[in-house]
Amino acid sequence: MSEPRPALLDGEKVVAEEFSATTSRSWYRYLLLAASFIFAAVSVTFVGSIVAGSFSTWTHHAGTLLTRNGWQTPNGPFGGLAMIVGTLETSLLGLAIAVMVGLGTSIAIVYFVPRRLRNIVATLVELLAAVPSIVYGLWGFLVLAPWMLSTVEPWLNSWPFAKTIFGNPSQQAGPSLLLAAIILAVMILPTFVAISREVIAAVPQDLIEASLSLGATRWQVIREVVLPTARIGLYGATFLALGRATGETVAVALVAGGVANVQFHLLYPGTTIAGWIATQFGESQGVEISALTAMGLLLMLISFGLSLISRTLVSRQRKMMAVV
Amino acid sequence: MNSVIANAPTELGHELRAQIRRTANHTRARRVVISKIMITLSMLALLVAAVPLVFLMYQVIKNGWPVLSKDFFTTLPQTPSLITPTVTGGVSNAIIGTIALNIYAALMAVPVGVFAGIYVAENNTKFASALRIIAQTMSGAPSIMMGLFGFTLLVRDFNLGFSAIAGSFALAVLMLPVIIIATEISVRNVPQTLREAGLALGAKEHQVSLKVVLPAALSGIVTGAILAISRAVGETAPVLLTIGGGFINAWQPLHPVSALPLTVYMNAKSEWPAQRAQVWGIALVLVAFIFVLSLGARMWASRKQKVNS
Repeated sequence: MSEPRPALLDGEKVVAEEFSATTSRSWYRYLLLAASFIFAAVSVTFVGSIVAGSFSTWTHHAGTLLTRNGWQTPNGPFGGLAMIVGTLETSLLGLAIAVMVGLGTSIAIVYFVPRRLRNIVATLVELLAAVPSIVYGLWGFLVLAPWMLSTVEPWLNSWPFAKTIFGNPSQQAGPSLLLAAIILAVMILPTFVAISREVIAAVPQDLIEASLSLGATRWQVIREVVLPTARIGLYGATFLALGRATGETVAVALVAGGVANVQFHLLYPGTTIAGWIATQFGESQGVEISALTAMGLLLMLISFGLSLISRTLVSRQRKMMAVV
Repeated sequence: MNSVIANAPTELGHELRAQIRRTANHTRARRVVISKIMITLSMLALLVAAVPLVFLMYQVIKNGWPVLSKDFFTTLPQTPSLITPTVTGGVSNAIIGTIALNIYAALMAVPVGVFAGIYVAENNTKFASALRIIAQTMSGAPSIMMGLFGFTLLVRDFNLGFSAIAGSFALAVLMLPVIIIATEISVRNVPQTLREAGLALGAKEHQVSLKVVLPAALSGIVTGAILAISRAVGETAPVLLTIGGGFINAWQPLHPVSALPLTVYMNAKSEWPAQRAQVWGIALVLVAFIFVLSLGARMWASRKQKVNS
């Protein structure tokens, strides 16, 4: 049995009303919620429509799609093995090139480029990351592909064991898996450098100075202190670059050659999942669209996985640096 | 106890130190040489990275500049024929299409993205963190997926046909996560004291958010929106599957339209040398536009930040 609450005085009443107006759900909260719900709905519809669009392929021809070599238009069977293998080949090779060159570049930008130039170089790298992929594709298709055919491929074919590695010269083409890998490397390099530069620059100066004071050379400091400290973030940058490489579409559609056949000779024309969707979609109907959408779903799962890994790694690195 | 240990160097300590010093002296020459080699190699990597990129920009400017003329921007394209193999016309349809597509896309994505971003930043609910994860994941989705989405949902299921609205929807889906993430970060960076000061003065929640937090976060939000738009302007894959193309000046939402990146993709494979040459001009326009947008956004944001602090 509690005491009845005393009536509020006039002044208290005003304050109480003001307070409840501040904390109650105003129209503004509903606006924010509405925008959030729209985004959530769009995202759910996004995944839902891709799944629904490829449902019949997954339920009836999943095995064919994942393991068969050869794409029979217009009614199938649609085998996606060539695209899956091509995606792996081009993006892993491109990634290997980009990481090797990019790691050196980031180290050079952070430690060896004169301080005055450093900001300019960093801005340039970020601008290059914004160049549309179609421009890289155009350059690869109109400049590099003829050059590959006239100069690089004859030179590569003069190597020992060239036939085992690069295949028969008569089947080689300007647009090829190797060219696609090179273009991907050039494209993902700015993305990789933008993040790895940031990660390397965040390594605490104390650690570096401590190591230098113990008599380590500059390279020893980098190898024994900087790279191990930045390791997790560098893995993150690598996965981010890999995600961009696997999802890249139009540039690869232009320079890979567009042949749906499993190729292990890198100078032969091939294709990737995204590139194949782009080249094939215009002329496809019904069942083929379903099969292409199914390939898209596969690509989406791969890239969601890669971006999840890379985000976890980069944020773990940031937290670690904040603690140090 | 500690000081005793520190002040009593044992035989072993002496021995160890001397040994380390000997090894260090002994290997110094080798270590210095290796260091110099590796430093040179990393500078070489910078050079290797720069060469293709410099070469790319050089080619775009060298091949693109001669193509640009008044007609390039103002006239419709013409297909070359055997009698007139060098007549390509302009790309006015693609310019109008690109402008229309990105305006529609920005009108859809910016309000939703900014308000959803503010929600994510200002709430600690499960829904907010789920949205953050969704936005981060979506920002990593390949752009061709947005094209597939636009095609499946709008072109086919809603039966709108290949149209500007389907293309701009695909681009809006591409922009949304970028805008949400940028907004969230810049709203979070507004100092909590500013909010508390506003609330202490008796302002209501939406007043604080709209009149205190939003102006303080504005430079970051605008930069994020501009970067999202500049990314969308150059995207080919989403529009490839949705807008249909066409050779007339169309901008109406339900009409098929053309776009600059799409024209590059189509004409790069053209059998006519004049059309392949013209494509460089489009590439130059795209790159120049995107550089101006993102540099402008960056400079504006950094100036704004200086003013604020």
